[in-house]
Amino acid sequence: MSEQNTGRGRGAAPQPPPPIPTPDPKYAWPAKPALLGTAVKRIDGPDKVTGRARYTYDINRPGMIYGRMVRSPYPHAKIVSIDLAAAEKAPGVRAVLAWKEPGAEVVYQGDPVAAVAADTEERARDAAQMVRVRYEPLPHVSTEAQALAADAPKWHSTQENTRAGVRQETGDLEAGFKEAAHVVEATYSTHVITHVCLETHGAVCEWDGDQLTAWVTTQGVHQCAQQFAQSLGIPQSNVRVITQYMGGGFGSKFAPDVQGLICARLAKLANAPVKLMLDRKEEHLDTGNRPSAFAQIRAGVTNDGKLTAFDGRSWGTGGAGANANFPLPYLYQFPNRRRVHTDVYINAGQQRAMRAPGHPQGCFLTEILMDELADRVKIDPVEFRIKNAPPKAPNQMWVEYFQQGARQFGWEKRHPTGDPAPGPIKAGMGVSAHLWGGGGRGTQAHVDISSDGAVVVRCGTQDLGTGTRTLVTIVAAETLGLPTSAVKAEIGDTNYPFSPGSGGSTTAASVSPAIRITSIKALDALFARVAPVLGTAPENVVAEGGRIHVKGDPTKGLAWKDACKHLGTEPISVDGQWGEGLSSSGTSGVQFAEVTVDIETGVVRIKRILAMQDCGLIVDKLTAESQVYGGIIAAINFALFEDRLLDRVTGQMVNPNMEWYLLAGMSDIPTIDIVLNNMPERGVIGIGEPPTVSTASAIANAVRNATGATIRSLPLHPHKVLAALEQQKAGGTQ
Amino acid sequence: MSSSKDNLPDKPDRVSVSRRDFLKTAGVGSLATAVTAAGAAEAEAQAGPRVVGPGDVPVALTVNGKRVDLRIEPRVTLLDALRNRADLTGNKRVCDRGSCGACTMIVDGRTVYACSTLAIDVQGKQIRTVEGLASSGSLNAVQQAFCDVDALMCGFCTPGFIVAATALLERTPNPTSEQIRRGLDGNICRCGTFVRIMEATVAAAAKGVRRV
Repeated sequence: MSEQNTGRGRGAAPQPPPPIPTPDPKYAWPAKPALLGTAVKRIDGPDKVTGRARYTYDINRPGMIYGRMVRSPYPHAKIVSIDLAAAEKAPGVRAVLAWKEPGAEVVYQGDPVAAVAADTEERARDAAQMVRVRYEPLPHVSTEAQALAADAPKWHSTQENTRAGVRQETGDLEAGFKEAAHVVEATYSTHVITHVCLETHGAVCEWDGDQLTAWVTTQGVHQCAQQFAQSLGIPQSNVRVITQYMGGGFGSKFAPDVQGLICARLAKLANAPVKLMLDRKEEHLDTGNRPSAFAQIRAGVTNDGKLTAFDGRSWGTGGAGANANFPLPYLYQFPNRRRVHTDVYINAGQQRAMRAPGHPQGCFLTEILMDELADRVKIDPVEFRIKNAPPKAPNQMWVEYFQQGARQFGWEKRHPTGDPAPGPIKAGMGVSAHLWGGGGRGTQAHVDISSDGAVVVRCGTQDLGTGTRTLVTIVAAETLGLPTSAVKAEIGDTNYPFSPGSGGSTTAASVSPAIRITSIKALDALFARVAPVLGTAPENVVAEGGRIHVKGDPTKGLAWKDACKHLGTEPISVDGQWGEGLSSSGTSGVQFAEVTVDIETGVVRIKRILAMQDCGLIVDKLTAESQVYGGIIAAINFALFEDRLLDRVTGQMVNPNMEWYLLAGMSDIPTIDIVLNNMPERGVIGIGEPPTVSTASAIANAVRNATGATIRSLPLHPHKVLAALEQQKAGGTQ
Repeated sequence: MSSSKDNLPDKPDRVSVSRRDFLKTAGVGSLATAVTAAGAAEAEAQAGPRVVGPGDVPVALTVNGKRVDLRIEPRVTLLDALRNRADLTGNKRVCDRGSCGACTMIVDGRTVYACSTLAIDVQGKQIRTVEGLASSGSLNAVQQAFCDVDALMCGFCTPGFIVAATALLERTPNPTSEQIRRGLDGNICRCGTFVRIMEATVAAAAKGVRRV
């Protein structure tokens, strides 16, 4: 997978944005848009609510058969032998293959070993159970503590359990601590969660001679085609990848993965189209996760609330051989700081980018500490953060958001740490802040205008559910002066011009400028043909309100369709690409949370969340807001519910399903208010990730404010809340 | 107005039983079906178990008012029968064990998890899927409201929510917020569209859902 999404160890220190290059004025976003920033309904909504939308999981091809993988039941073992004979003879079986060789090591439960394809899904499952694999189990490590123990077994027979990660030092640490009036020292941590894409990973592969068509549930069709070609040893020109609709990715779907490659090979062996979609258990075990994060921190503050020093030793695991990096300290300005990181490897599936990789972890580790420091110097947490936030800049709006948000949220009603109210239900408020990069480039696009006025925009991007198809339609319609219904957006196919994978909140900023520029080029070509009919020069013609007319005189013109009739047998067909000045990067946000905690049961309920967020120029108000709601709800899951649980003794995941892997339902959702700061002058930036970063920290700080007990690790499960309360009773939590 | 319990779908809010494995080993599904649609299989249970299979057997289903004839193994679930054999792929397979609601269908007026219902057990019953809710090309009130307020993102959970909300409003035309939450608590969305699903369901209730 691409490096751009693997979490940024150093990205914590905010930087003012580089100046936005001035775009060619010809391409600049319109000063008075008709559609941009308004609430445009999702173009493919009707297809999704009626079941017409075909996801990869829904592709049924003539003669299609079903693939099924065989995976290691052990967290660590050596493969002694693989016997495919019985599976080959099983009813309905059309292809069988071994993915690993005898002698190879499997290093996590779910590590792929072999695969089968059969004429029905049920028979494929039966046959997979008949593949006989003999294993020699090896000792395993299933927790960070086990892996770090002095006499720990190795996660892999030839590799170490740790790797030295980033090491950063700025300023004079000793002087910083000398200057501090108070020092807080504690260990903070966050847990591993899995992506739980509702559409599991998988593909449908079909060969026509040496041409492969692969329907893949992926965040990057072009990237996927490249990897199919490389891994299968065929020219990329022989591969077509299609993703019309996809059921969630969140950073875990950038490649064909093993299951995609196996699917292609089974299809070749069986000479039939093969559908291979993972089941829910496989999805939990082998399609990525958000790595854990731990930090032992010492931090100093002066009596008047200025941060002086930060000394952090951090570690975390991304599973079997995968790193676990995150920014630390997060956002706030510690003039003197040191951070030393160690990656820890355990016998578990590898991490992948997950919605704002690294940031929710770094944010939590820092923001809980911030409230502890604020209490030491008896300063309100909002005021304390304002004192230590980076200075205001277009991508650093924290101070303003803290002030505006506090007013809107009713922060003045917040009591000091520990709700003095009688009774078991305690209420509290918390706050937290975040940053993200966004921005993007590289997209190419194509626009056709036919003599009947039909407009088709083609772009090889993909819609993860973020609304990219709608965004392409809006930008083209805005530019061509047409209603969205007059523009057909075709995306999700490598037959269309290149666009990068959708990660890092870069799609909107990469795609929107490309569609804008290509649509203007198409208009130029159209004006050149229509201007003579209007008796004027092309530069005096504009397209707006569904008409092509002389600038400043809407009566001297033609309806769009009538104008296009003059194209005759030569339609407009132009290519274009992303250009500077229409997008930028860097976003900031602040979130507030109000919770109640039942101190008898430890159950946390969230009452309200307020999100202050910027994302540059808003393309579609509706889908942008949905992203913020979605990010917050994902973070509620991270804070209160979901947790990948590995049994310390057996190394097995104990909740690889959706009933014990907990996710919020309707009854768990609080009131959520969003303030979306439209900044058209910054161009398009992207908003998929930032809103999910700080919610969990705001919730945890609200729990602390309610109970007076500090819980320094996520998730905030009832037993941990009760344990923290017990500890507080026994002498306080500092 | 009758009590709220009578107006709610019978689907349990959150099910914590591994039904699929249970179904696979149960062979005859009358008992298993009773778990998902309480009482629905009583008549058959009283007549005693009937041995079918293990190979393909004829199964006739009535889906969205149309007869669908299949030859499938008795262990095939309603969801897999429709998705894999009848190309009705609107309802989704997500957890495959009755805990997420993406496969929710309406069988004789009650919501069921189609991933945990055997196809042979719903012969002779009226099965409605997400494909059967729009009438002659126009969306029902729930579908329209979901589009209007953007109550969907990736859309993979959406068919289950649409069916569950439609079933709720058919039985409880004027639900309270609490009834909506309870009626939809058996469905899970990962993109985080719940706020707008609530908005959409309230809007659809105001317009009224007409049974097609």
